[in-house]
Order: sequence, then C-alpha cells, then structure tokens
Amino acid sequence: MFRTLWVWIGIPLIMIGIVAAMIIYSVNNPTDSIVERMLTYERVFRVIRQHASLLLISMTGATIVGVLGGIMLSRPSLYRAGRVVETIVNIGQTVPSIAILALFYTILGMGFRVAVFALFLYSILPILRNTFAGIDGVDYSIIEAARGMGMHPLRILTKIELPIAFPIIVAGFRTAIVINVGAATLATFIGGGGLGDLIVTGLAVRREMIILNGAALAALSAILLDYLIGKAEERVVKWS
Amino acid sequence: MSMKRILTISLVLVVLVSFLFVMGCEPAEPTVKVGSKEFTEQLILAQVAILALEHHGIPTEDESGLGGTLVNREALEAGDLDLYWEYTGTALVEFMAHDVITDPEEAYATIAEWDQAENDLIWLDMTPFDNTYTIMMRREDAEEMNIETISDLAAAINADEPAPEPGDWNFAMSHEYEARDDGVDELQETYGFQFDYADPMDMGIVYEALREKEYSVSMGFATDARIAAYNLVNLVDDMGFHPVYNCAPVVRQEMLDEFPEIPEILNPISEALTADVMSDLNMRVDIDDMDADEVAEEWLIEEGFIEPEE
Repeated sequence: MFRTLWVWIGIPLIMIGIVAAMIIYSVNNPTDSIVERMLTYERVFRVIRQHASLLLISMTGATIVGVLGGIMLSRPSLYRAGRVVETIVNIGQTVPSIAILALFYTILGMGFRVAVFALFLYSILPILRNTFAGIDGVDYSIIEAARGMGMHPLRILTKIELPIAFPIIVAGFRTAIVINVGAATLATFIGGGGLGDLIVTGLAVRREMIILNGAALAALSAILLDYLIGKAEERVVKWS
Repeated sequence: MSMKRILTISLVLVVLVSFLFVMGCEPAEPTVKVGSKEFTEQLILAQVAILALEHHGIPTEDESGLGGTLVNREALEAGDLDLYWEYTGTALVEFMAHDVITDPEEAYATIAEWDQAENDLIWLDMTPFDNTYTIMMRREDAEEMNIETISDLAAAINADEPAPEPGDWNFAMSHEYEARDDGVDELQETYGFQFDYADPMDMGIVYEALREKEYSVSMGFATDARIAAYNLVNLVDDMGFHPVYNCAPVVRQEMLDEFPEIPEILNPISEALTADVMSDLNMRVDIDDMDADEVAEEWLIEEGFIEPEE
C-alpha cells in the first residue's frame, strides 16, 4: 500500500515540487525588470495551460486516429497497404517537427489551431506505426487456433490481438507524448503559445532564468508523463 | 604488445602532436569578424560592411545572422566578433540601462561616449534612417476608424469601439518586444490602454499576421519593406514612447588599431543609408526575393562605393 502511494503520488510530487520551488524562487527573486515582467505566476500558469491544451487536444486526436488507423491497416485485406503506409510513416517521422510546423504555417496560416493540427499529425505517426507493428507481430498460430475455435474476427481483435499488442501500442503512445511535449514548445514561433513562449523570449533577451523556467517545465512534463504512463502500463499488463 | 605496434602508435601520436603544434603556432591573420542580428535589414547591413571592407583589402569573416541583440553584443565584448551594426536606442536601453532618448543626436552621443569609455567599443557614424519600433494597423482599417496616432488607437480601444477583423483588439509582436523595457507593457501603460490580448511569435511573421487579419494591431520595424508592400500603416508615436533607433557599425578598438582606415570606408556608406534607401533595400530582399549579399553589392556599385568585379 505504501509502495503504491509512493509510486503514484510520492515520486511525481517530488518532481513537481522541485520545479515548483524553482518557479517560486524565480518569480520572487527576479534579477531585473525583464525577468520580473516575464516571470509572473499569471504568465507561467497561462503558458502551462496553453501547453497542456496543445498536448491534450493533439494527443487525443492522434491516439484515436493512430490506433484505429493501425487496426484497419493490420486487417488482412489492407495488409499490403499497411506495409506501404508503415514505410511512409517511418519516412514522415524523419522530418523535424519544426519543418512540419513551418510547412503548415505556409499552408494553413498561424495560431493555436494550426499548431494543434501539426502536432496532431506528427503524433499520429508513432502511434499508428506501433499499433500496426504490434498487431502484425502477434503469433499467427494463436490467431489460427482462435479461428479454429470459431471466434469471430472482431473477438479475435479485442480478445487476442489488441491485448497482446497492448504494450507495444502504449510504447508508441509514450513516444508520441514525449515528442509532443518537446515539439509543442515550437508552437510559439507561429503564435501558438505554450512553454516555448518562455524559452524563445528568454533566448531573445538572453535571460537564462526565463529560459530555464520554460525548459524545466517542458522537461518535467515529458519526464512525468513518461513515468506515469510507464507505471500505468506495468499495472495494466499485470492485470491482463 | 609487439614492437611494431608500439612503433605505429608512437608514430601516430607524433603526427597528431605535431599537427596541434603547427596549428597553434600559425600566426592568426587579423580578420574583421562581422556579425548581425537575424532580420533582413541586419543581414543586408552586414553584407554592405563585408563587401566594402573586402573591397579595400581588409579580410573579413561572415558571421551574419548570428543571433539576437544580446548574442551579438556579448560576442563583440568577448572579442568573438569585431563589428556589427547596432541601433542607438537598443544599446541605450539594453546595455547602458539608460532612459529612453527621443533625440537622435543626443542618443548617439550618449551611447558612443559611454561605450568608448567603458568597453573600448567605437561607434562609427550613424545612418540617417531611424528603424524604430512601430505600431501598425491595416491601412483600410486605420483610415476607416480615423486612427493616425497611437493615442487615437488608445482612445478607440478605451471607447470600446468595435475592433477590425478578427474582432478583438489583439496585438501581434516579436518575443523580444514582449519582454523589453520599451516593449508592449510600457507602451500600454504610457498610452493608458489595454489590448484584449497580445501574442508573441516569430518576428518574421508579424506582418503577415496583420495582413492576414489574424490580428488587428501589430508591432513592426519602421523601415521594413512589407509595411508598404502589404498596405499597412505606421501609427504616429505622438508621445515619443519608442526611443530612436538610428543604426551605426560598432567596432572593437583593437580592430581599429589594426585597420585605421575602417571609419573612412564605412562612414560615407552610413551617411547614404536614408530611410528610403533602407526600406528599398529591405524590399529587394523581402519582396523581390533577392539575397542580402546581392542586394548589398548591387547598391554599393550603384552608389559607387565599390567597383563591379570583372
């Protein structure tokens, strides 16, 4: 019981505590008027909120589309197409996130919504690829056996393929979310807000304190989310 | 370990060490390292300086587009750069922590004197153009609402007049303008108004942000070619909020000792850089899609500062 509390609440709280302490210290001890202006609780909370919205909206969409897409492509009738899509996705993944953002700026314009859309597309890739690879990797003899027992394809999917592929799908989700936290800091270049506001402004006026606060918050979100999803994954795998 | 092996390894070591030795001993030929900030005007000015100096036989190194104001300044102070074009207003507020000065001559004299005494940095003659921050609206909106000055804008916002598209009194700005002491916060305080919200973004897209009607007001730089090209209008800074930003090459004293002819080369060029000339040069890059070095060369040849290469 104590261990569970420690894993789920203790460690995350320590991580949040360290960064919170840094923010409180920076806000109360600004080195000059520029830092004072940029680091107020109001501004820090605003960029955190923007960053969280960028992340939440894009990841929700990407998870739905990625998982459904991966399942569809793994169906025998679409299997060949799946291979092609997997290759395209792998190539897409090599394009840097800033280039994706720049591309969508030229096509769709600027602002929060465009940033969300670019993040959404970028996050689909690892989820889709892992879902496809996870289902594709299920031992064929198991599926044969299930079919022999007269299981409906839908039941094979939900009872056999998805549970076996689950850890790999979650790994894709984890990759996507960690990339997304980092990539979302670039939204600021097209006026999308988020933690990038602090980082880029800090760089522009060369105030390390502002950069550090933005970067620490981004790093914290990535580490914390990765940690929590990892732990959740362990539990779900144990249950099943 | 076999003898042969030891011999091979020691041979390699001797070669490596002598390599380092040779590299270390080679006398560094003095070159003028020219930096600049990242926007068009700065890139052009850096190329102008490089081409002019090279034309007079002074070796240069192109470090243009190095980074923001403070990146260049710190590099200059550290000796990693020898020359870059800085704006009087920026230097006064950012480096000297001096109050805003709205008279060009006074601003120049103050910063030049201080930098020479404190930092051994020499301000060569300044340009006639004043690339100050400017507050812009789309021309048709400004005309329709009869807004000519920033005070008019403040009055309109305070009177709750409906904003032009996108329907909010919102404000697009660069990241730097958000943080600076002569930036958006002080602007609103001085003129006594409040935008609905103000978003930071890359400096390169604020003009498009205004043109595309994503924002109703934006900041910009007064000499930028896109103001005319996108049919935007500068609001008059009737309370003299923005300091003057004439531009001048700032050089390290050591480099001037090395090449005392630098001022003679660059001063007449600065003098020729009027606001019209500068926004025309900016337009050749931003609107006509030419490269900064091409534009610089073309202009220097037009004005007879350098002769075309055979």
